[in-house]
Amino acid sequence: MSKQHTPQLAGLVLIAFFAIFPFVYSANDYPYIMHLLITGFFYAILASSWSMLAGYAGQFSFGHMGFTGIGAYTTALFIHYIYISPEATNLCTEYAIGDQFLIFVNPIGITSSTLTQDCLRQALEIWDGSVQVTAMPVWLGIALGTIMGGIFGLLIGLLVLPLRAAYLALFTLGFSEILRATISAELAITRGQAGIELPHLFENGLTLFGRTFDKTDKLPPYFVMFFLLLTCLGILAWLSKSKFGLFVRALREDQDAAAALGVNTTRYKVLVFVITSMMAAAAGAMMAHYIGIITPNNLMILQMSLVVAMAVIGGVENFVAAAIGAIIIEFTLELLRNSFEVGPFVVDMTIWRLVIFGILLMVTLRFSRNGIISPMIDYFFRGHVAKETVAKRATGTSP
Amino acid sequence: MEFSHIFWTVLAWMIFWAVVGSFVTRRVYLHRDLDTSSAAFVGSMLGAATGPFGLAPLWMNTPEITRRLMVLPALGAVMVIAAAFAFADPSNNCVSNGSFVASQIVNGLILGIIYGFMALGLTLIFSILGVVSFAHGEFYMIGGMVTYFVTTVWFPGINPIVGILAACLVTFVLGALFERMFLTPMYEGKIERPVEYGILVTFGLAFTLQYFIQATVGANPVKAKRFVDFPRIRLPSVEDPWLIKTSRGNMELFDTVSISNPRFMAAVACVLVLLSLLYFLHRTWTGKALRAVSLDREAAAIAGINPDRMNMLAFALGGMIAALAGAMLVQAFSWLPQVGAIPAMRSFVIVVLGGLGSLPGAFLGGIIVGLVESAGTGCVPDAQKAASYIPAYGMMVLTLTLLLRPTGLFGRRFSGGAHGKL
Repeated sequence: MSKQHTPQLAGLVLIAFFAIFPFVYSANDYPYIMHLLITGFFYAILASSWSMLAGYAGQFSFGHMGFTGIGAYTTALFIHYIYISPEATNLCTEYAIGDQFLIFVNPIGITSSTLTQDCLRQALEIWDGSVQVTAMPVWLGIALGTIMGGIFGLLIGLLVLPLRAAYLALFTLGFSEILRATISAELAITRGQAGIELPHLFENGLTLFGRTFDKTDKLPPYFVMFFLLLTCLGILAWLSKSKFGLFVRALREDQDAAAALGVNTTRYKVLVFVITSMMAAAAGAMMAHYIGIITPNNLMILQMSLVVAMAVIGGVENFVAAAIGAIIIEFTLELLRNSFEVGPFVVDMTIWRLVIFGILLMVTLRFSRNGIISPMIDYFFRGHVAKETVAKRATGTSP
Repeated sequence: MEFSHIFWTVLAWMIFWAVVGSFVTRRVYLHRDLDTSSAAFVGSMLGAATGPFGLAPLWMNTPEITRRLMVLPALGAVMVIAAAFAFADPSNNCVSNGSFVASQIVNGLILGIIYGFMALGLTLIFSILGVVSFAHGEFYMIGGMVTYFVTTVWFPGINPIVGILAACLVTFVLGALFERMFLTPMYEGKIERPVEYGILVTFGLAFTLQYFIQATVGANPVKAKRFVDFPRIRLPSVEDPWLIKTSRGNMELFDTVSISNPRFMAAVACVLVLLSLLYFLHRTWTGKALRAVSLDREAAAIAGINPDRMNMLAFALGGMIAALAGAMLVQAFSWLPQVGAIPAMRSFVIVVLGGLGSLPGAFLGGIIVGLVESAGTGCVPDAQKAASYIPAYGMMVLTLTLLLRPTGLFGRRFSGGAHGKL
């Protein structure tokens, strides 16, 4: 076995481990661990796509959580407000499509007693069970959420074209905050802080290979999230190996020089925004369906700082490292949750772990700019050979 | 709103012509080989204010863009929005009730002074280090916390000035230490992208400080007592105090405008400190050195100023200014570890609006943002919605500024050094 293949092999082992893990593991805390892994995968998607945006393309955007919110809210609103019915309600806005009716439920918000008084509920009461109304499929919602994330990514990408560095960070932060304020304020449509409930990924359960899964079972969402992560990593790997990755890194190093050398900077800057925001939106939509509720607090700056910290600690210029870093940090943060007592003092680790995390972020930035995981991967990649030797071999000056 | 469609139609018309104006004007100026740096801004504002009637002569004559040409259309656009609002909703408090408008404006001004003062610290840090400090809100929070603990918990009844000085001292030392420990590698060219490094590392500091305070103090809101009571004043006479009437916690001017004591005191303190800060920056050697470094690092170094020490001073001073604002406001608002988030966002808005690195810009921007926020909270018909939208008003100002005129009101392009190129 040549040493060059170590990282690929390690990657395969890791994938195999995550694929087999849920079947092998059977301790009492199985649902908890599975939940952690699913959340870890979610953050891994965010951290790796953010590392593509920030580490490869140099666009330090603080709006990444905003895009997950767009994905999540698109699917939530879509499933919440649109239904298919075989009969006309004569109360809602509706359009006939063939012999079915597409029904748009009117927004009534959360004003106390009106919770069950939207037009569809009233129609259902009149029908009294004689008509079955179909909700929109979850997968369509997620797809729409992803597309919507792409559209917003395009918009933001176009708007931030002339902005660099600090200005870009502030603009994207502004975008994310406006989005959050709008969602909190438009109570009638989004129900504000109360949040919208969503159906689970497999609302009616799922039967695969002779096993039936309940809608709250962790196994199906685990694999869905896992495959989404693998897909995203695959796309990112392909992009970074192709011309796209080269151009985008040229953009990061010197935008003007890249433009002078014939890189279409506008196109690649916008494209990297579109791709990464679609990933974030898909992950957000998926996660919202898994959790079952989405509130504007999911877009908070704290969530964004988690993603940033995960990517940075993992290694912002290596998206695999960022993904692994996200999973590891998610686990560490959970393991550190247990409070303990030192003499008379109770150390509330639920807060202190975040302090430790913040210090770790600063120290990583200060002393190891490529993160913690990324140098390890690099070390494996070189196969225990010093950096200089690899560089010399690459140029062919040394045997 | 009764006739809301009028308002939305006017707004849509304005936005349409603003977009057309910004794009076409820039093209026209580019085509005639003229300076395009402010063309988009002028075009959009003129489009918003006058529609095609102002844009056509602009495109035909392409006059040189002067300060007047920038200010007048912007004011015009604001007037058109106000007029449309007044027509659309004649019964709104903002339109029909003069004293309400007056008190909103006064409150907006007072808050604006405080906001501007806090943003001053951020802009000072940026102009010298080239770092947008994401920990600014946390310095503000710590300033309030220290003042609260000194004046209320540890030494109740002590003169509040001691508490404020303690807050200043703590944050000054904290800022200086942080700068020495984490920001020094930026100056030596060891870091490829210093601006991003600065953002991330201050972000980490903000995270750490916020949770450190939450872990040690707890998440319960605290509030300090009023620092000073107003003396009892009745002017011009006790029977008919139409000019000014004060109680201990409140002041009423002209029977209409009511100002609460803590905010008034905070604004007064901010103005006083601002004046002394201006004196420091313009009349002392250290202050002049600070300004010199912000203008040109290399030239300042040649003139015998140590830019590294100025960096430390600027970061500590910037954090201290935020803490001072917090120390003055802990008597007005209840204080939580998360309290810094919104003021920090607002400071970003203000420094971008005023021009990153410009001190007068920060102050003027603060007043504008204060007025915009009080107009937004006072005039939007649905009060609950208005409250939820408060953080968004400032952010809209920010995005508009970045899109139309990224240099802000008094922005300058930085000659070099660690500053992010625009």
